[in-house]
Amino acid sequence: MLKIERLYVTVGERLVLSDVNLEIDEGEVHVLFGPNGSGKSSLVMTILGHPSYKVISGRIIFKGIDITEMPTEERIKLGIAATLQHPPKLQGIMLKDLLNRISDGRLRDDGLLRLIDKLRINEDLLNRHVNVGFSGGEIKKCELVQVFALNPDLLLFDEPDSGVDIENLELIGRAMSELLAGKSALIITHHGHILRYIKPVRAHIMFNGQIACNGDPEEMLNQISKNGYGWCEKCISMRRS
Amino acid sequence: MHIDEEELNKALDKPADYGPDLDLSSYLIEPEEAARLDESILKRAYDVGIDLSRKDSAGNFLQVDHSVMVKAIQKRFENDVEVMTIDEAMGKYDWVKGLMWNLISPYKDKYTAFVAKNRRGGYFIRVLEGRRVYIPVQACLLLYSPHIMQALHNLIIAEDGTEAHIITGCTHHTKSVKGLHLGMTEIYVKRNAKLSFTMVHKWGPGMDVRPRTGILVEEGGTMFYNYVLLGEVGSIQTYPAVTLLGDNSRISMNNVVYLSGSSNADLGGGVAIKGSGSRAELLTNSVVTDRAKLVSRGSIVSEAPGTKGHISCKGLMLSDSAEISAVPLLTSKNADSELTHEAAIGKIAEEQLFYLRSRGFRLDEAESLLVRGFLDISSMKLPKHVERSINTIIEQTMKGF
Repeated sequence: MLKIERLYVTVGERLVLSDVNLEIDEGEVHVLFGPNGSGKSSLVMTILGHPSYKVISGRIIFKGIDITEMPTEERIKLGIAATLQHPPKLQGIMLKDLLNRISDGRLRDDGLLRLIDKLRINEDLLNRHVNVGFSGGEIKKCELVQVFALNPDLLLFDEPDSGVDIENLELIGRAMSELLAGKSALIITHHGHILRYIKPVRAHIMFNGQIACNGDPEEMLNQISKNGYGWCEKCISMRRS
Repeated sequence: MHIDEEELNKALDKPADYGPDLDLSSYLIEPEEAARLDESILKRAYDVGIDLSRKDSAGNFLQVDHSVMVKAIQKRFENDVEVMTIDEAMGKYDWVKGLMWNLISPYKDKYTAFVAKNRRGGYFIRVLEGRRVYIPVQACLLLYSPHIMQALHNLIIAEDGTEAHIITGCTHHTKSVKGLHLGMTEIYVKRNAKLSFTMVHKWGPGMDVRPRTGILVEEGGTMFYNYVLLGEVGSIQTYPAVTLLGDNSRISMNNVVYLSGSSNADLGGGVAIKGSGSRAELLTNSVVTDRAKLVSRGSIVSEAPGTKGHISCKGLMLSDSAEISAVPLLTSKNADSELTHEAAIGKIAEEQLFYLRSRGFRLDEAESLLVRGFLDISSMKLPKHVERSINTIIEQTMKGF
């Protein structure tokens, strides 16, 4: 489904990803751990084709098509969608109207309505301007429902569990797990709270713009929870020496 | 108010403080062609949000050049609101004259002086004491004959404890390629009255517009003054002057502007807060494209305790040949007054564009969605059908974008 080969990416003068390799097969859910600033969000932005993230070497292959230079909206049409960690505010654009346009007027679609209901997105939130004055949980839900409306084959979730209270975490976790049925996904999480609800098949750890480690999600999360990312750092430097 | 003829004659040559100076002798006072009320006129009124065929407006008024063509009150509102020509009102009530040129000085500039000497029509709308008129009174002022100069004087009175919406639309007929609209409007919002006044302007490249507006708000009164200017205009300059005279009075002025072509616009408003506990907010969201130039002014002077004032000027630039100046001015004469302003001018934010593209929108679709969002009128708190019709007009204006 997604294959990333020897990817090097810069933002301005800064190298944010170096030699990233990643492969997600059809129907597989992977999780990407890593400390803040390690390059996790940069990977999402690069897969989406954000204009500030320049691929200087390497390729991104999606469904067998090289999308490395493809405009963002065409990647979306091919079947990629992502929830962003810090989406911008859209003054004057009502969530309801945006969803209607994204789903091509299918807001009345049963599945979408059910998700809106499940996430407890009420009429008031639907009538508000996208992300303007939204709480942390509301932002995550708003991202989730937009991505659902796109009906993608590959989903990227950038920190779906950060800044979310326990109650909303459960709502979001359950909705995500339903959403993911049969789909491919990459879930980025710093703390791993969301893994209470979703069981990925494989985990990766990002460090200094590189995928430093691959393995079993549960084992890795246990290590990180117990020893923190400092432990990973030691492990990596030991391996290198 | 007594008018000094000599002083008035002197003012006839006086340019306005702002905006390009116009030569009044280049317009015609008498129409070359008399308009008849036909489909084409109704259509133009409709283009600025005035649907004269609506059965659910409280009252209607239409003046084309100097002739009043529609003037009606729905039967069930006859005891609530009066709609007549200013001349009829002056004939009916001897106090009307005393309210004219009270909030606007006739000596202010050549435009006020010209109307003081050559008034031709205008409306009188009065909401009777304690009455609440939930559906709008509509008024449309239209320029028809080529090179015509409209010189109107309007008077609006919201008596004590009233509540009403007034929607006005001003435009020109396709026949007039050049013209001048001079409209004096004096608005009295009396004790505990709540008046919402919404004006939609749509002009053409040969049209010049110089409205003069004075507003007085008494104790506990609230005024919503909404202004929507769309498309291309030769030149327009207006600066409504508001006095919050009474305690706990309030004005919310909301301008939404989309300017294209070679438009030259100088817009804004000034508020003097004299009543304690009173509040003023002046909000302008403007989009300029092509070679359009806009000066967006706002001034709040506070003289009373417990008061608040806020000015917001937000501008979106869609072209390198366009220009926006934001001129917010705050003056406080009382330590117990909180005055703030924010101004921001720029292009569409890259992050917003990327965000929408990541939701599948093409670049041009994303741009037009964001521009459309910038021209949001939901903060005007209009009746639903009015909001819908103004939104339709905005969308039509932006079709080419």
